[in-house]
Amino acid sequence: MNLFLYLDKNSWLHRLDPRTKIIGVILLSCLCLCFNHPLYMAAITLGVVLIAILSRSLRNLWLLRIILLLLFLFSSLMWPLFAKGPTSLLSWGFIQVSRESLLYGFAMGLRLSTFVAIGLIFLSTTRNEEFTNGLIRSGIPYPVAFALSTALRLVPTFAGAGATIVQAQISRGLDLESGSIFSRFRKFTPQAIPLFIYAIRHTHLLAMALESKGFSPESKRTLYHELRMGRTDYIAIALLLLLLGFAIYIRFGLGLGVILTGRM
Amino acid sequence: MRPYLSIQNLSFTYRGGNRPALKNINAEIDGATFVVLMGHGGAGKSTLCCSLNSLIPRFFRGEYRGHVLIKGKEVPCHTVSEMSHHVGMVLQDFESQLFSTNVELEMAFGPENHCLSRKEIGRRIEQYLTFVGLKSFRQREPATLSGGQKQRLAIGSVLSLEPEILVMDEPTTDLDPVGREEVLSLAEKFRQENRILLIVDHEPETALRADQVWLMQEGEVIAKGSPEKVLPNLSRLKSCGIKPLPTIELFEKMGWAGQPLTVESAINLIERHHLVGQRGPFPTTVPSRSMKSSPLLSAEALRFVYPRFQTEALHDIDLSIDEGEFVALLGQNGSGKTTLAKHFNGLLKPSSGRVLIQGRFAADYSHRDLARMVGYVFQNPDHQIFARTVQEEVGFGLKALGENPPTISKQVADALETVDLQGYEEKNPFALTRGERQRIAVASVLATQPRVIILDEPTTGLDYPQQKNMMEMLRHLNQKGHTIVIITHSMWVAAEYATRTIVMKDGSILADGRTRDIFADEAILERASLRPPPIVRLSNWLGTQALTLEEMVKELKG
Repeated sequence: MNLFLYLDKNSWLHRLDPRTKIIGVILLSCLCLCFNHPLYMAAITLGVVLIAILSRSLRNLWLLRIILLLLFLFSSLMWPLFAKGPTSLLSWGFIQVSRESLLYGFAMGLRLSTFVAIGLIFLSTTRNEEFTNGLIRSGIPYPVAFALSTALRLVPTFAGAGATIVQAQISRGLDLESGSIFSRFRKFTPQAIPLFIYAIRHTHLLAMALESKGFSPESKRTLYHELRMGRTDYIAIALLLLLLGFAIYIRFGLGLGVILTGRM
Repeated sequence: MRPYLSIQNLSFTYRGGNRPALKNINAEIDGATFVVLMGHGGAGKSTLCCSLNSLIPRFFRGEYRGHVLIKGKEVPCHTVSEMSHHVGMVLQDFESQLFSTNVELEMAFGPENHCLSRKEIGRRIEQYLTFVGLKSFRQREPATLSGGQKQRLAIGSVLSLEPEILVMDEPTTDLDPVGREEVLSLAEKFRQENRILLIVDHEPETALRADQVWLMQEGEVIAKGSPEKVLPNLSRLKSCGIKPLPTIELFEKMGWAGQPLTVESAINLIERHHLVGQRGPFPTTVPSRSMKSSPLLSAEALRFVYPRFQTEALHDIDLSIDEGEFVALLGQNGSGKTTLAKHFNGLLKPSSGRVLIQGRFAADYSHRDLARMVGYVFQNPDHQIFARTVQEEVGFGLKALGENPPTISKQVADALETVDLQGYEEKNPFALTRGERQRIAVASVLATQPRVIILDEPTTGLDYPQQKNMMEMLRHLNQKGHTIVIITHSMWVAAEYATRTIVMKDGSILADGRTRDIFADEAILERASLRPPPIVRLSNWLGTQALTLEEMVKELKG
């Protein structure tokens, strides 16, 4: 079963240095934090989708469309209940929804799914090893970098094992299609425990295998794929910085892109 | 000159273990030797392997006595990663060793750790990818490789460290016959490079290629020597839980002189001494399928496409299985055996065509009803064991189906009796041995008393006595009226136990018939990259009906 997000393509984004991409993720996320007006947020979302198309990683966004949509809906529905705005639309006991809070909810929904989309594009265009190497070269201590990328690397492995476990339990009569939330929760045990034990056993074996191949977290190692910041890398970072500066100017200089003041 | 590897009075007890895993091991290897290590489950084979690169005592703690010296260096004084300069270790479960996102980087991992230059790493990737025959897969993701290819990659990624000693713990257990051959031919090549190779394996056929065979029993090495010396001692092999070479056993039982190790040498001896005449080619029976009203399981024009890959995993399967049959599904990894079997308990739904269970569409059954009709035992028991007691574990299905407690206890007790684990109700399933856990998995399917039981690789990971036990139990269930379908790579298991054999290749059925007839057609088996077990090959040559040693002895004496 193939559950890895990385798409082995050769786009300009794939060719960027992983350090550039890590910086890019941070800058883009900051950009998302600049506005809480849904129209301005939508522009950023559109830009991110454009990057996904250009880097040929739209497939992964489409694959996880349900998650992205759920995040958007959940956030759009929840925020209006907590944020307060001047123009009241609905007032029912505790619950007060205003036009501004509704729009703010949309913006937050967009922001959340855009965050996730940025992360997905990063993982779709960056090999796990490149990510590790990028972190190390950015000065992150090796054990930390390695732990982080290992965690990412193991997600698909465990998801695959999880699928097998569910099938095995269904074959024994576990019925996942019916029952109340409470009884469904109880049905979780026969799936969780084997997965938990699988995870422990797997990581244990992995540790043995890594050490047997000469890995030790403290010592230096060479990198087979050399990292090199090229001209495109500097151009990409410069462009993103400019964009962020421009956005900050719009927000704070011109006071635009805000639907509820006093909130991020 | 001192020997390259020397083990002196080595004993080891795992922390918390109540008996030593290794007892007074003494051995020496002087370079360019191929050793095959054999023994029953729990004999200490893996423990001995791990002591060679200081995983024992560095990774697994415990009471360590004695010495392991490599090039005169005390192994336990060095860390595992220091030892990686001398000892390459391929662990049992190759799936969990592959870690990188493509083949090339997997090969580079070790040399990167040794801080080699980029140029040298490139050279080693090139050289050892060629060695393991994966050069054209450089950019592939390891997860997309076949079993044999994955194992070869695991070996290649260790070889790229250029160790003087290569240790492989059961490198062929999970592989189909082709994958096995791929890995074992690597072993031969490695020996020609003047290095030491130590392999743990269950199959005596592997041991034939070795320079030395070491037999282990209860933590001790009880015999060491050339295969010609060690393998003919049948009683000793049996006491170590190893399947003896059938040719030797046959000659002994027939009272013939000679101890042939292979089918070819057996045929030679028979011809030279005119021990027994060849009979004419035996008549193949025309399959006389009784035209019963409706078969228990059937597939009609079944096609299946895995949605994510858009590859056709099954095409145009027509198949029917009657009540009371014992069927073996054979074929390479990826030939579609498991995909086909999963259609019969509704885990997969056909892309087109029909799957009928007792004349009704599989899709019309709920999962619950289907679980009562068709039980499916997965390959790895650890994918399903979760409960605190065996009682709870085995009763899980019944409870899910809404049975009342007295019925559950009764049926659990029955199931446990069938798998020969009566009285285990209160034990912790996680604390049992692999063989016992496998039986628990069977029992937990058995408890709902399904009419059909499908088992995916029921003998993998078990030693010979455990395999035999498992199969005898299935035969017993079959005699009680259950229909049994096994998916297996083990040719002797299929030959000895299944009455019907289905051979699959590339998602289609290549051959389907009485087991004896299928195994008589060596050409068609070869097309599926399979080969009959030695005794059947001999039987084919002789023109006898026998599929097992006992049958052959009876027939020849007859």
